[in-house]
Amino acid sequence: MLKKKTISLLVAVLMLAAAALTGCSSSDSSADASKDGKKVIKFMHLWPEGSSNAQFSIVKNIIGDYEKQHPNIKIETEILGPDQYRDKLKVLASSNELPDIGMTWSDGFIQPYVKGNMLEPLDDIADSQLKDMFIPGVKESYAVNGKTYGLPLELNISYVFYNKEIFKKYNIEVPKTYSEFVSAVKTLKSNGVIPATVGAKDGWPASFWFMYLADRIGGPKILTDVIHGKAKMTDPSIVKAAQEIQNLVDMGAFVKGSSALSNEDAKGYFMNEKAAMFLTATWELPNYTTSPDVKQEFKDKIGYFKFPTYEGGKGTDINSYVGGPGVGLFVAKDSKVKKESKDFVGYLVKEWGKKSVTDAGVIPATKVDTASLKLSPMYVEILKDLSSASNVTTYFDTQSSPAVSELHHDLMTALFGKQVTPKEFAKQQADALAKEQK
Amino acid sequence: MSNVAYDLQTKTTVPNSYKTSSTLGKRIGFGILYLILGIIAVVQIYPLIWLFLFSLKTNQEVFGMSPFSFPHDPQWGNYAKAWTQGHINLYFFNSVLYTVIAVVLTVILASFVTFAVTRMSWKLSGLVLGLFMAGYMIPLHSTLIPLFSFFKTLHLINNPLSIILSYVAFNLPITIMILSGFYRTLPREIEEAAVMDGCSIHRIFFQITLPMTMPVLSTTIIINMIYNWNEFVFVNTFISSDKWKTITVGVNNFVGQYLTDWGAIGATLIISIIPVLIAFFILSDRIVEGIAAGSVKG
Amino acid sequence: MKSVMSNKLVISLYVLPALALILLLIYIPIVLTGYYGLTDWNGIGQAKFIGLENYINLVKDKMFWESAWHSLLLGIFSTISLIGYLILSLILASKIKGANILRKIYLVPMLLSSVAIAQLWAKIFDPSNGMINRLLMMFGVDNPPLWLADSKLVLYALFIPIVWQYAGFYIIIFYAALKNIPEELIEAAKIDGANPFQIAYRIKIPLISGVIKVMVILAIVGSLKYFDLIFVLTGGGPNHASEVMASYMYTEAFTKYNFGYGSAIGFGLLVICLIMTWLIQKLLSSKEDF
Repeated sequence: MLKKKTISLLVAVLMLAAAALTGCSSSDSSADASKDGKKVIKFMHLWPEGSSNAQFSIVKNIIGDYEKQHPNIKIETEILGPDQYRDKLKVLASSNELPDIGMTWSDGFIQPYVKGNMLEPLDDIADSQLKDMFIPGVKESYAVNGKTYGLPLELNISYVFYNKEIFKKYNIEVPKTYSEFVSAVKTLKSNGVIPATVGAKDGWPASFWFMYLADRIGGPKILTDVIHGKAKMTDPSIVKAAQEIQNLVDMGAFVKGSSALSNEDAKGYFMNEKAAMFLTATWELPNYTTSPDVKQEFKDKIGYFKFPTYEGGKGTDINSYVGGPGVGLFVAKDSKVKKESKDFVGYLVKEWGKKSVTDAGVIPATKVDTASLKLSPMYVEILKDLSSASNVTTYFDTQSSPAVSELHHDLMTALFGKQVTPKEFAKQQADALAKEQK
Repeated sequence: MSNVAYDLQTKTTVPNSYKTSSTLGKRIGFGILYLILGIIAVVQIYPLIWLFLFSLKTNQEVFGMSPFSFPHDPQWGNYAKAWTQGHINLYFFNSVLYTVIAVVLTVILASFVTFAVTRMSWKLSGLVLGLFMAGYMIPLHSTLIPLFSFFKTLHLINNPLSIILSYVAFNLPITIMILSGFYRTLPREIEEAAVMDGCSIHRIFFQITLPMTMPVLSTTIIINMIYNWNEFVFVNTFISSDKWKTITVGVNNFVGQYLTDWGAIGATLIISIIPVLIAFFILSDRIVEGIAAGSVKG
Repeated sequence: MKSVMSNKLVISLYVLPALALILLLIYIPIVLTGYYGLTDWNGIGQAKFIGLENYINLVKDKMFWESAWHSLLLGIFSTISLIGYLILSLILASKIKGANILRKIYLVPMLLSSVAIAQLWAKIFDPSNGMINRLLMMFGVDNPPLWLADSKLVLYALFIPIVWQYAGFYIIIFYAALKNIPEELIEAAKIDGANPFQIAYRIKIPLISGVIKVMVILAIVGSLKYFDLIFVLTGGGPNHASEVMASYMYTEAFTKYNFGYGSAIGFGLLVICLIMTWLIQKLLSSKEDF
């Protein structure tokens, strides 16, 4: 008897709870555009407080300042980790429910959204509020058919970071040419040090090696030409670059089993001084300069060098880099607060540019005045490099469509694991590209 | 009570009958058995200890050293970080709320269905059971986009109801499958007698069948609880306000674009495991107790 | 008797709420998935109806069948491991000392989320720093396998954590089933002089055969749609060597923006699950007749 009563009571409570839950949130969802007379802008980003505290705080402060200056506007943020962010954006797009402002990547990522008529061109603010503020060529990565649909926040460049102490111990000079690099690898290997670490499971870290070799062997334009159908992936210089990677693998240049290591796993070898070199991008700089979580003695040991030139290669300029914009901001076409959102995006990009290097160690896509800032030497040097760069090739995977990008990652992993030959590697991608360019 | 007496009896009588066979051989056999059981136990408990050590490490230690190693300088700060920056204080209550409501609803609804399908006679019972079973076969990611637009039309996006309903619907199939395996082994005599006595069907269900299935109910409660507690794809997709998110989302707060704070993730996981661990220990005893109670009645 | 146990009103009352839920939340998505499979859609903007093209491609897609084979292998592996779990459960459910605490310990991995488990096993399998290879090198193996980086080994290496992860799930159910067996039956057998093995084989296992059958179905179907650890640990690689149907579906739909084709894969997965379940039902029901 008692049981029956408890159960029916429980059911009743549950129903009440369910009703209460629907009740209190229905008011929530209807408040789409305005709340207490305020206009609400929904802003989705991928810098959670936990993992990206510096970025999170900068954005939070900028929002606070903006709201103070614009009392009729309320900015609601939704923050997700990067993987969840991508998945959610996809689902939201499928239901035409994009947030008013969100983050996007350049080139291949943004294209489907532009073609699906989801995003608003931002040229007007880029040409007024933000005129002449971007580093030339960066916002163009977010352009489709001449219109800019995203405004970049970050700019990353890849370098080889190395452990100066290990190099010194074995009398290794910083390599300027590829043959010097190979002999450095051999010296390290014969002394039982892992020459370089790479998380080839993730594909993109492995691609850094490939892109630089392609740049140095085939010239700085080769990969961009491949994307635009002006050159073929099966170009002998690209096959040669892939071949050089496998030569390095055979030489033992990379950490063992790299094709099963994620970038995080691989990074551990460098951070713990088990590997001498790590080809990565400037987003790692805080770890070598400002991060409070890393010991100073380790930071002091880390230096960087530009990827060496290849004897007989077409890319003779060591100041040609691979890199690319990281995330940028978009405004949704269907936003009910389009004007306000655009204005805020302009404000955010500008303010972000002022604070990102000093507060978060992130190199912004806008010009930085190094003279007025107190920066660690490595930043100053790198910002100088940037201004004297002869070319920055946007990461191949960023430039290509999502499908080709995924294939490229798979094949990079396979190339490092020696599951494909350089020829197959080139051919499979050439086929995929040909199919898309048809 | 009566069971304990029973146990003692069997324990004293059974070994006697084996005494004739070699006692030494039996002892060695038991020794090996316990050795194997012990090794398995170590393998099974190790992850929890590992996770705890992990939660006290810096990123550098997490990746540099063997998973056995102890942290040099235990980072208790990871726990503080998890609590504040990971917003666990906020998410914790939501996790409990969704899990409890969803588990209770699932188990009750599933019991109803299983009872109707396995104990009552009607033409379409096989088909209905089949429908539920097939519901287990759809891959989660196929359902995300359709479900999102479905909840959107119902205005249930960013509403906890979307999460609870999804949990119930997606756990019903497996719960019904598990329950049906048990219901088929239950003796029908008691129910038949009850029918003869003029019991109503609801009384039979609530007062006879449901108590008889207490052990398996505890089992399905445990399973449902764990599934719901650890779920995050639905929460990530259907919920956007911080105030409705759950503890698993807290874990993702430490996964960054370029850097991931593994120590804090470990701490979040440890904090999030404690309530399930407690609930699980309590419930797992119910599996046995339920039987004892049932057998006394029988 | 009959009238009470076949009261239409009561049946509807008991079945309809749950049925309505799964029809709305599971079957609508299933139907829509089947429909999306008929379109060329990147998930953004308008979908283009292309008839059966995706499904025809699916049937011809070597990668799909390879991933299906990997999923099926996992299913077979999981089913075989059920024997181990059943034996463990039999031991735990007999009245040996310490069974209660052992049983609880055995279920611990089940409580951990896949995030934690994946991290742990990534460390265990790490080719140079990992636990397994450190042990192997200690015993003088100079070139220990690369595990997850070895395309021939990776699939089998992945089976270990998956099977281990689910140990608790099956043990807890088998255990509950065994505890459900009326004590009198076992006592009677003991009096007849049956030894523990005979009791297990002749009495306990046949009595819980219904549960075992359900577990076999769960193991196979669960394996066919398995995703979590594989996706986190290898992402289906290297070179698709550990691709399973669900990871293939996810990659197509969410990474490559082929939502139409991804849906077709999801639907294909469902069909394969249905066929397998039907086969198991056939196989196991004929056995029960003996």
